[in-house]
Amino acid sequence: MGMSGITRRAFLQASGAVAAASVLGLPTPSRGAESKARVVVVGGGYGGTIVAKYIQMADPGIRVTLIEKDSSYVSCPLSNEVLSGERDLNSLTFGYQGLAKRGIKVVRDEVVGIDTEKRVVKGKGKGGYPYDKLVVSPGVGFRWDAIAGMSEAAAQTIPHAWKAGPQTTLLQKQLKAMRNGGVCIIVAPPNPFRCPPGPYERAAQIALYLKHHKPKSKVLVLDAKDAFSKQGLFIEGWKRNYGDMIEWVPAAAGGAIEAIDPKTRVLTGTVEEFKGDVVNLIPPQKAAALAELAGLTDASGWCPVDQQTFESTLHKDVYVIGDAAIAGTMPKSGYAANTQGKVCAAAIVAAVNGQPAPEPSYVNTCYSIIAPDYGISVAGVYQLKDGKIVDVPGAGGLSPANADARTRAIEVQFALGWFRNITADMFT
Amino acid sequence: MIDRLRLPLAATLLLAGIGAQADGVRTAPMLANTCAGCHGTNGASAGEYMPSVAGMDKGYLYSVMSDYKSGLRPSTIMGRIMKGYTEEEIWAIAGFFADQPWASTDRPAKAKLVAQGQEIHDKLCESCHDDGGREQDDESPRLAGQWAGYTRYALAVCRSLGERCRPSKMGRRVKDLSDEEIRALASFYESEK
Repeated sequence: MGMSGITRRAFLQASGAVAAASVLGLPTPSRGAESKARVVVVGGGYGGTIVAKYIQMADPGIRVTLIEKDSSYVSCPLSNEVLSGERDLNSLTFGYQGLAKRGIKVVRDEVVGIDTEKRVVKGKGKGGYPYDKLVVSPGVGFRWDAIAGMSEAAAQTIPHAWKAGPQTTLLQKQLKAMRNGGVCIIVAPPNPFRCPPGPYERAAQIALYLKHHKPKSKVLVLDAKDAFSKQGLFIEGWKRNYGDMIEWVPAAAGGAIEAIDPKTRVLTGTVEEFKGDVVNLIPPQKAAALAELAGLTDASGWCPVDQQTFESTLHKDVYVIGDAAIAGTMPKSGYAANTQGKVCAAAIVAAVNGQPAPEPSYVNTCYSIIAPDYGISVAGVYQLKDGKIVDVPGAGGLSPANADARTRAIEVQFALGWFRNITADMFT
Repeated sequence: MIDRLRLPLAATLLLAGIGAQADGVRTAPMLANTCAGCHGTNGASAGEYMPSVAGMDKGYLYSVMSDYKSGLRPSTIMGRIMKGYTEEEIWAIAGFFADQPWASTDRPAKAKLVAQGQEIHDKLCESCHDDGGREQDDESPRLAGQWAGYTRYALAVCRSLGERCRPSKMGRRVKDLSDEEIRALASFYESEK
């Protein structure tokens, strides 16, 4: 999902200049008696594309409509590599033509509400989208009020870059403008949040840029937590590739940030103040605004679901997948959203065909690229136990500590293969 | 090969993991679809170090996944993943991918490298990997049309294992190959569609 701020394009959509229309004008299956159910999917990211495609593949008799507010998708995974200059945003950008060719009706519109009584999704374009089953894959939203002085407007100078696109470019520009000897601060959010290893991979990718262009500089990670994903592997990899360039300050040592002055880039911690030449503040998170608006969130700010099917426990026939959903021990990651989308697709096709929900299987794999020849990974295999998603005992886990150079290098190649395949799974 | 368009709906649903028993048994498609994020939709990989597994011999796929699980076959991530599945589930995943159509890469090949690779193939590999690597059985994977990056990686790992490579005759065959010869061999196989 793209930026939630009112962009010029969104304004045009709101004014009716751009009516809701099939993104490509390609033929889509006609409305009519042959469609046994209407499934509407909101959000064309790592979860939404997959649930749409796998429903369509499993049962072409179901009419699938995918609603997405942007004309193309920019992947968050690998977007940290834009900061080091290893790749550009184009290499992370995908269109929806492949899904349209499969017979999925792809509509460009911004969803502004969901009427769960009448079962209609309301878009900014005129008219609504009636559904028999609705899947919402909206991603995360930010808790702007959790850090005093922070706001959506302030993110125009203090980028989060936690949704790939213009925010990534903004952070990259600030790093390019920073002096040699400057300090780039990354403020890492509390759990749970999108992409648990992401802030720490970012520290490495920024260090990669600085090592080559501004070697006297520092990366300071100020953390709301006392521990983080793949921690031992990151600390080993940071040291090996960047010496002392990256410093991590856990919450217990004063890393938790309570306030920021966006003008001076001074951060107020629980113990002391920090000033950055560049500040990348990744705010605390919750389910995206749409989920809250549709009444799909609980007091935690996330969406409770039946973890076998991903049907909301708050609204019947509405399913929530990906980062917004509460999914047992699974992390909020692209691969998790991918396999959740497939479990959800199978459950919906079964329900439409009057069959019980199948026994689910879920996987997560996350790669982090610390340097061009230094990659690490975590994997998880999950099953349903007593209604909850839990780790299969004995499976999954991390890359080994102190592995040889060849192992670290090949994991980068596997990370790139991961990206090629997961995006092909989504968009072709 | 299964032609999905001609299957009745019930069979299509079964293939897709629907119509399943909700009695704790996970269907083959339910299990196998979780692999697609790295190995491509239905196991046809988009490259480069992730092998295509669609259309591979069922027995071969079973033994490789099972060896990953036991640690007999070294890996970075596959061992960690395969430990999450029972023997029956590994057979089910193998069967699902074996039933999919093989998809060769569509990348143009470098003629000189291919010719060099063919020479090595004729001399060293053809007895088990017949017909340009198209022939396969439970010991010999299909190589024709496979991503060269993966084949290079697999050959290099086997070379480093020597006698411990499974099957051990593979280790003996590849132990004296240079990096350049491995590169040529992998390009040759990719060029055979």
